[in-house]
Amino acid sequence: MSDFRMFIGGSAGSIAPISSILSSLPADFNMIVTVVIHASADSKTSMTETLANNCKLTVIEISDKEKPIPNTVYVAPSGYHLYVENNEVFSLSVDKKVHFSRPAIDVTFTSAAEVFGKYCIAILFSGANEDGAEGLLNVKRHGGLTIVQSPASSQVSIMPQSAIDNGAASKVLLPIEISDLLLNYNDLA
Amino acid sequence: MVINLAKELSILDEQQITEELRTENIEIDLLISAIKAKIGYDLSGYARASIKRRFGQLAIDENVKYIGELIPKLLHSHQCQSNFINRLTVNVSALFRHPISFLSLRETILPYLASFPRRDIWIAGCATGEEAYSMAILLEEVGLLNNTQIHATDINTDVLKQAQTGVLTKGLNKEDAARYQASGGTLSLSHYFSTAYNKQKLSQHLLDHISFSHHNVLQDKVFCSAQLVMCRNVMIYFDLNTQNSALSLFHNSLVQNGYLVIGEKESLLNSPFNNVLKTINEPAKIYQRKSIENV
Repeated sequence: MSDFRMFIGGSAGSIAPISSILSSLPADFNMIVTVVIHASADSKTSMTETLANNCKLTVIEISDKEKPIPNTVYVAPSGYHLYVENNEVFSLSVDKKVHFSRPAIDVTFTSAAEVFGKYCIAILFSGANEDGAEGLLNVKRHGGLTIVQSPASSQVSIMPQSAIDNGAASKVLLPIEISDLLLNYNDLA
Repeated sequence: MVINLAKELSILDEQQITEELRTENIEIDLLISAIKAKIGYDLSGYARASIKRRFGQLAIDENVKYIGELIPKLLHSHQCQSNFINRLTVNVSALFRHPISFLSLRETILPYLASFPRRDIWIAGCATGEEAYSMAILLEEVGLLNNTQIHATDINTDVLKQAQTGVLTKGLNKEDAARYQASGGTLSLSHYFSTAYNKQKLSQHLLDHISFSHHNVLQDKVFCSAQLVMCRNVMIYFDLNTQNSALSLFHNSLVQNGYLVIGEKESLLNSPFNNVLKTINEPAKIYQRKSIENV
């Protein structure tokens, strides 16, 4: 299994590019992928089902204290903040919202940064608020690789632009370039 | 090559980051020890990442830079001591949260509990009371309220005071109504509340069936012998070992064939209690204490 861990965050307008990138990953991608997307709690279709469409990796919604296994995409459940514990199990909380959001991307990225350090790859996509920018900066401070979807290619540019503005972005890329980079990572690892 | 790329992109010295994290971990451990020694609450079994975030928030609220600076405040400020645990253990709740669980209670579990002459239901970690209110409404609707006592407990004395009043912290909204209906409710939810000064209060005859008490599931003993124990979104704050201590307490408090209800995203899959609790409805997170001959 790859030592690297991938964390993906997004909000409004992010489901399409995230879905497309996940479906480009091979079944033996070998890296654990975790996705945090803001969703309205009353949305009818489950995020997990949407992401599982066309995805060659297994996509599952996280339960508290779940221990992740490779070749799987883990999705943060709506209504809960998602943390990575030091012994690498996930944990959930219903603490107050951050940037009006639960799950908040900042919460997950920050705990991932502290646990995985330079082995953390964090990618932030389209969205209509500033959640994720601080978390992404924490990933960068801890030596991780931070990628932001280019604002021009984002349906809503506020979220990626906030991350670029606070200096959190190591790379600003189009969704197709993000796919290519991730596939090459797999070859190298 | 991958590692080189990661190194190239790092902006802070790796040693410096490691040292920062190490220091912060020391501060967290010292604060946990100080809390235990000074006010008797043992937070050592709490899930580390979320308790760390709560400590961090408290440090911001107290206007200090480091978690370690909370220690002298805890030790020397009387005001800080009195509400320290309350500020660390605020949980949110909602009426009829996880409706399919309430639906299963209505359709399957409560009809079975009707065979007992009277019932005790323990809501462990009741927060601001919504779970207990929902249970009282459900019992009223299936005609079992009269011989049922709901025991609602929490570690947090502030939320207990709030819960005791029967007044909702947030006004009824359409999401509450939708969850009530998804729980099998057919009336208007407002039927169970009176409104005054823009606040809604649970009907007194429902509130009379709920007792509110202080209880810490990690340090106190079995609260009561119960036919039904409900503890949702409390164990997510604990590490795995501590979750097992809580499960042991709940198991011990259940009568034979009594039921345990846990949170929507909580799991018994990796727990030793998988053997002594039978799954009744996994999506609804309802389990049953096996009778002795079946263990």
